[in-house]
Amino acid sequence: MHSEEQKSEHKVVILRRQLLYLGGLTMAASALAEPMPGVSAEQKFAGDLAILNVALGLEHQAIAAYDAGAGSKLLTPDQLKLAVSFQNDHKRHRNVLVKFIRRFGGKPVDPESKYDFGTITSATDIVKLAHKLEEGAAKAYLTHAYKLQSIEILDAAVPILVDEVRHTTVFRQLLGLSVTERLTV
Amino acid sequence: MNTEKLETMPESLKDLVSGQTSRRTLLSRLAGTASVGVIGYLLSGKLRPAYGQTPEGDLGILLAALFLEHEAIAAYQAGAESKLLSEGVLKVAVAFQSDHKYHRGAIIGAIRTLGGQPIEPEKKYSFGSLKNEKDILRLAQKLEKGAVDAYSLLAANIQNKDVLNFGAQALTDEVRHLTVLNGALGIPNY
Repeated sequence: MHSEEQKSEHKVVILRRQLLYLGGLTMAASALAEPMPGVSAEQKFAGDLAILNVALGLEHQAIAAYDAGAGSKLLTPDQLKLAVSFQNDHKRHRNVLVKFIRRFGGKPVDPESKYDFGTITSATDIVKLAHKLEEGAAKAYLTHAYKLQSIEILDAAVPILVDEVRHTTVFRQLLGLSVTERLTV
Repeated sequence: MNTEKLETMPESLKDLVSGQTSRRTLLSRLAGTASVGVIGYLLSGKLRPAYGQTPEGDLGILLAALFLEHEAIAAYQAGAESKLLSEGVLKVAVAFQSDHKYHRGAIIGAIRTLGGQPIEPEKKYSFGSLKNEKDILRLAQKLEKGAVDAYSLLAANIQNKDVLNFGAQALTDEVRHLTVLNGALGIPNY
């Protein structure tokens, strides 16, 4: 027997799903509708493409940094688990960004052939490096995401920003830095 | 109450603005608003960028956000006044509450700029039984998670770029709060 409260909660869950589904439908429809006649997708969303490619460059860099961290053998099993999980987030972001860049007529940037992450001699060095890159990425998304013109791209950027802020906050805690400071740009 | 403004509001938001609402009805009304808009546009064969990208949509989102901010401020207040928090946790709770107060101020400003009437906090909030620090952390975690989900879900539907920019900053704060609270409760952040 469900209480009124449970029924009400259930209804809200269904409504939220419906909202997400309908949102998805509209976004799919808007993607089909783009570009406007006489304007190529590349022209209309040139600003978006530039932002996406900068973001993609940061994702490539983060993936490489976590590879360097994992390959260093300096991390404890728990730290390694965290690093692999965060790297997987970045790989997912990379794939999303590449997909959108291609769909909107752009050319995704490739990873650098070599990254210089400085001297890594301890697990703390790796955490500091990861924190620096994650905070940089979070600030980049925070600075530029609102400028995105395509709603579909914006909707994809939001969960990426959420991930970057989560990663940054975890590293701030690991490094004993303040977690009550607002991330400002 | 500005009845003239109320007249021009979507039906689904009228009760929200007049204070006759709750978290559950708020969510269902937001879902209802979006559904009507989307279905209407799909049936009419017209396409527009997104279902919520209208000034009315922005106002609805801001009102929803304000509702959540009021609730979060009240929850942290209840936590702080409970005398159940240790010194370190209290300090963080006060800082997080001040972020929510900052959001509240900005949202009220944006609502007024868009010609809307900000909603007042509920007269009384029911946060259940708060018997220890963990109960308060759990309550805060639940509300912060709700705020992250709400901002994430609605962000792309914001039309006004200034509002969107603010929304991204508020979302960033909510994610930071949630991550810290997850950590305190032993909920994995990965």
